[in-house]
Amino acid sequence: MAAKRYTSMAYASADEMTFGVSKHPVKAGLGLEIGAGYTIPEVNYAPRPEAGASKEKLVKEYERITTDIMARMVQVGFPAVILETEHVQQMSNNPSWGAEVAHAQKTIMEEYHDEYGIKCALRHTIGDIRENRDFLQLRGDKYSVFLEAFEQCAKSGADLLSVESMGGKEVFDHAVLRNDIPGMLYAIGCLGSMDMEMIWSDIAAIAQKTGTVAAGDTDCAQANTAMFIAGGLLDKNLAHTLAILARAISAPRSLVAYECGAMGPGKDCGYENIIIKAITGKPMTQEGKTSTCAHSDVMGNLIMQCCDCWSNESVEYHGEFGGTTVQCWSESLAYDCALMNTALETKNEKVLRDLLMLSDRYRDPQSYVLAYDNAYKVGQAIVKDGDNIYLRAKNAAVACCDIVSEGAAGKLELSRFESKALADAKASLDSLTDDMDKFMDDCLTKYKSEVKVFLPENYGF
Amino acid sequence: MLDFTEASLKKVLTRYNVALEKAMTPEDAAEELYPKDELIYPIAKAIFEGEEDDVVEGLQAAIDAGEDPIALIDDALMVGMGVVTKLYDEGIIFLPNVMMSADAMLNGIEFCKENSETAPVTKGTVVCHVAEGDVHDIGKNIVTALLRANGYDVIDLGRDVPVDEVVASVVANKPLMVTGTALMTTTMYAFKEVNDKLLEKGIKIPFACGGGAVNQDFVSQYTLGVYGEEAADAPKIADAIIAGTTEIAALREKFHKH
Repeated sequence: MAAKRYTSMAYASADEMTFGVSKHPVKAGLGLEIGAGYTIPEVNYAPRPEAGASKEKLVKEYERITTDIMARMVQVGFPAVILETEHVQQMSNNPSWGAEVAHAQKTIMEEYHDEYGIKCALRHTIGDIRENRDFLQLRGDKYSVFLEAFEQCAKSGADLLSVESMGGKEVFDHAVLRNDIPGMLYAIGCLGSMDMEMIWSDIAAIAQKTGTVAAGDTDCAQANTAMFIAGGLLDKNLAHTLAILARAISAPRSLVAYECGAMGPGKDCGYENIIIKAITGKPMTQEGKTSTCAHSDVMGNLIMQCCDCWSNESVEYHGEFGGTTVQCWSESLAYDCALMNTALETKNEKVLRDLLMLSDRYRDPQSYVLAYDNAYKVGQAIVKDGDNIYLRAKNAAVACCDIVSEGAAGKLELSRFESKALADAKASLDSLTDDMDKFMDDCLTKYKSEVKVFLPENYGF
Repeated sequence: MLDFTEASLKKVLTRYNVALEKAMTPEDAAEELYPKDELIYPIAKAIFEGEEDDVVEGLQAAIDAGEDPIALIDDALMVGMGVVTKLYDEGIIFLPNVMMSADAMLNGIEFCKENSETAPVTKGTVVCHVAEGDVHDIGKNIVTALLRANGYDVIDLGRDVPVDEVVASVVANKPLMVTGTALMTTTMYAFKEVNDKLLEKGIKIPFACGGGAVNQDFVSQYTLGVYGEEAADAPKIADAIIAGTTEIAALREKFHKH
């Protein structure tokens, strides 16, 4: 299916957006409707290192994990839950392994649903295995295995299909470590979007065939890499103003999934999801303060502002005082959701949304841009040239710079390093052409010579 | 929409990076550290600025003036890189500056080698790899750049490296240490296999590990493991080994932070 580009916003204003409610709710799994007036905890986990030794060990590990989560939800009285299984590479490389895990998990979830009525769904996030030791191999044999993994999981019990795809990452890794803004635009906005269109057309077709939901992608491989490298306030690895630029550029890339038929909820680690929700009206999963088990960020409260599902990103399965890790973190997520759902039921959702947003709004340029009012503005910049994957990515970057500059003129404090990186980025963006063909040609020549692992044929060039 | 007053905002957050920022600009700080020799100064400055063409131009001028190309590696390129790594360690410049400077330095080293018959002497060899099954290599790429920037010869085995290949490379190259990075929990189990196979062969060199899901507890489980929380720890561990801290327990004491 050809991508149907977004050229307008789903919401008439930023203030229309809240948590737990989306313009286009999604029915999935066992009785769930996502974005239909309530938020849902989405628990994510990783098996212990030694569990990857064999298929039997892995399946057993996921059975324990699933039972632990479902039991805790029932014990503490929560009405709904989503489980997200992010494939370890063994499962995606051997589609029957992933399928067996999905089947085992869904069997347990059905038992709990039948006995207690708990609403639940299972997301499987297939690993992007399209690579070999030396190169990304986005097309060819690996791609067939990749799609086979989706299909087998969908047929075996997965309700929501996702991936964190890697298109453009070879150029991005080179560019982000060199403050190279055109390189980031090319990698995420152009190469990433082109790859997304190929894979999400196919994933959406599999979802339609299997009666499951194509749920969405995130730019984890690029925007989250930038956020992770940027780190905290005292880290000196990447200016946070560049990390938010990568994030803004990632929104039009991740949007492509929905343009190819994905329905949501977008995956948790897509901090760009707030921008995508503003454009599409599709429900989104987010992660923040309850994902500190996996990583630190600077917007733990803010990012909850308009979530439909609330995730912990990932936690290794092992014991804690309060139970196993998945029990502890699922309970924390569910309490957060209970608070949001109470706000919705008492019509206080906008007050809670604004409190969550404001508590982090000025913490960092990243949180400032992702505050829902500013995120909405980035969305408007994207849809302005929605038909042109280069221009809309460039627009997002320019809008991001403008928003940070406006903030810095007020209560958003920037360090000198952040200000300089922002000024350099703006100058770089100002010097760029508006002609997509010229930009693509120039970048192809430049990065073919500079990035030895960049294979243009991956993108159909 | 709700908003803060300036006063109430300060009760909710502190931008420590703004508060602590050094008064001196990176360029000013670097200027104070450059060597004064008029042939070496432009090379060191070009390294700091990451300008590859200027590095080569400066090297050519120094060679034309009678300087030995191989000596220039230590006397000019490494001096310039020393300015960069010092300011990075002090929090005055960012990693991208280091990466661009490292690119320029490696370019300069190649130029010096092309203009000389003799081979340069390095501080030592380090074998680097990404765990078998894992293709996420940006962390490893940062580690190798920082090691090279600090004067180490790096054998970069790449990503998704089979355990036996890591062991074979260690046997063949006799490095002072081996590094491993991984993003995922199930791939980092390969570190333990590397450890066990090295021990089977009687090799007891430090095995510095880090990356996304890797944590100190896991790395401490195998005999040779030394955990590096940041990529910048890798050259520091190598420096400590050269300085005589070769026992794993002593390295853990020095570098384990939790």
